[in-house]
Amino acid sequence: MWDVIKSVLAAFFGVQQDQRRRKDFEQGKPGAFILIGILLAFLLVVIVFAVALMAAG
Amino acid sequence: MRKGFALAALLAGLSGQFPISHATGWNMPVGVSQVSRDVYDLHMIIFWICVVIGVVVFGVMFYSLFRYRRSKGAKAAEFHEHTTVEVVWTAIPFLILVAMAIPATATLKNMYDASEADYDVMITGHQWRWQYDYMGEDVTLFSNMSTPKAQIAGTEEKGEHYLLEVDEPLVLPVDRKIRLLTTSADVIHSWWVPDLAVKKDAIPGFVNESWTRIDEPGIYRGQCTELCGKDHGFMPVVVHAMEQEQFDAWLAERKQAAAAEAGGVDREWGLEELVERGEKVYATVCASCHQAEGQGLPPTFPALAGNQALMDDLDRHIDVVVNGVSGSAMASFSGTLSPVDIAAVVTFERNAWGNETGDVVQPADIQALIAP
Repeated sequence: MWDVIKSVLAAFFGVQQDQRRRKDFEQGKPGAFILIGILLAFLLVVIVFAVALMAAG
Repeated sequence: MRKGFALAALLAGLSGQFPISHATGWNMPVGVSQVSRDVYDLHMIIFWICVVIGVVVFGVMFYSLFRYRRSKGAKAAEFHEHTTVEVVWTAIPFLILVAMAIPATATLKNMYDASEADYDVMITGHQWRWQYDYMGEDVTLFSNMSTPKAQIAGTEEKGEHYLLEVDEPLVLPVDRKIRLLTTSADVIHSWWVPDLAVKKDAIPGFVNESWTRIDEPGIYRGQCTELCGKDHGFMPVVVHAMEQEQFDAWLAERKQAAAAEAGGVDREWGLEELVERGEKVYATVCASCHQAEGQGLPPTFPALAGNQALMDDLDRHIDVVVNGVSGSAMASFSGTLSPVDIAAVVTFERNAWGNETGDVVQPADIQALIAP
């Protein structure tokens, strides 16, 4: 679980270690990455929204 | 890293020594409001950040190309991926962008805060003139370009403010917050005055808000900056900023003139005075499409001179000017011309260029038609 989160965050950032990428492709389940990806994308939107509200506030 | 700082310091020093003045024509104006100065400062800060980045990146690149050239026996490194380097070159631009976004957002926020204004002015774009309504003051101006046609045709020498001069500038007091409400009666225009750092789209059916507070009295010029048809280049914006007392006097004078104009509707007008006035209205409002001698630009803009259908049907002629022609380029002028102006221009068109009908249209009749 934590590894999946780290991989998704690495994908958000755009940089991933080759070693970890190989491991993800060999052992990971696609469904887990998609689910965590959607959740973290939602979290990102909430954070950006909160920052914007604070700035406007 | 120390070299980078030294370079940045050098560039900052240079920028102080040789400011890229807008007077050279190469830069945007500093302007005459706090917002315009903020915008200018942002522009310069971001410009110098870009210069430093450009110098550093290209400096390293060209130095490496030269220092490690193959003829000196340099061998290319053959590593694949380097997470630390990749993280660093992703994080640095991110931090730079955030650092630029903070002051930019603060300025934008300020630009959008049109609350607590001292005056409200409604700006309406028309093809091809600007209308200014001083809300709550009952004063309306129509601002038409005043550059003579001969200068545009090139038969006369071009003046100092060629295409940037109007008959009626927007008059505003200095040191007052002016809320500008921008909209359009026909197509999308955009009201732009660089010295005020105000550039707002005028969209039919929408009202866009912006504001300004001018620091110095003066005349500030701008243009329509959204392609709006044939005379898009011929609807400049001119703002005349003056001291409060002067502005008050001007506004009082305008109110009187508006009252006198309204009174003019009731009296009986003669043919000659209507034709005289109509000729002026025609030149500023109608001639851009129907041409100076009424010859038109068929088929889009029909000729008025020698137009038998026009001469035969007075009611239809008035109807076309008052209500426009749906589905054509002919606009309705009931909102943009006074009843006196409409009566005058119709009378003029029926008694000019060989159209000798002798018809006289009374402003009172037009008034009855517009507001029965």
